[in-house]
Amino acid sequence: MTELRFHRGLYAGLAVEEAVKLFAPHATLRVREEPDHWVVEVEGGARERRVAGELGNYALGLTVKHGNAR
Amino acid sequence: MAHEDSFPEGLVAVDRTAGAVRLELDDTLYPLEALYGAAYTFIDRCWVLLDRPQAGRLRATLAPKAGAGDDGAALHALAGEFANELLSCAWRHQIAQQNRAIIEQVTAQAVAGAMGPPSLDDLAKFEFSGEALEDPLGIAVSWEEKYRDKKAEPKAKDAK
Repeated sequence: MTELRFHRGLYAGLAVEEAVKLFAPHATLRVREEPDHWVVEVEGGARERRVAGELGNYALGLTVKHGNAR
Repeated sequence: MAHEDSFPEGLVAVDRTAGAVRLELDDTLYPLEALYGAAYTFIDRCWVLLDRPQAGRLRATLAPKAGAGDDGAALHALAGEFANELLSCAWRHQIAQQNRAIIEQVTAQAVAGAMGPPSLDDLAKFEFSGEALEDPLGIAVSWEEKYRDKKAEPKAKDAK
């Protein structure tokens, strides 16, 4: 299992949400909230590392595209 | 010089088993916009994850998509490239901040020029109360001062 921790001050919540929706068909994703982070747990067998990495990049790309984390 | 010695202590950490390199940054040196810019340029060849491990610190974790395996030198080289890109982005961000007023003024003039001459209504609303021009060295001379009747002044002094 790979755990991605998206800091609330660095990532836009909508970006993380959209990334999770997009990659949900490719792995088992569980999202939980912590005070400072959105945490996404990724389980995807052989593709797990790649799915987790691309999910992180997608969330980052959307955050940058939308201007900032807010 | 070994790759491990090429960065200040505590700045870069290589995780060979995960095939990733981590950079810890001071957010007073690198604005968030610069970090976003640098990270964005690396997402085509790396998986990038940003974090804020503690107040005042930023962390960027890079994992090459191609897989660097346990090649520590390649991961250190990647960290170096990222640090250079980060510095470049921080510098460009600073220049943009410094020139913001000029850029806005030039843009406003260009837009105003494209809109054509002002209408009578626009002229009626024009604000004349502001300073006509900036004169920080105090060398400007007003029309009244330049063309005043200089012959009349000595007479006025004599009258006293």
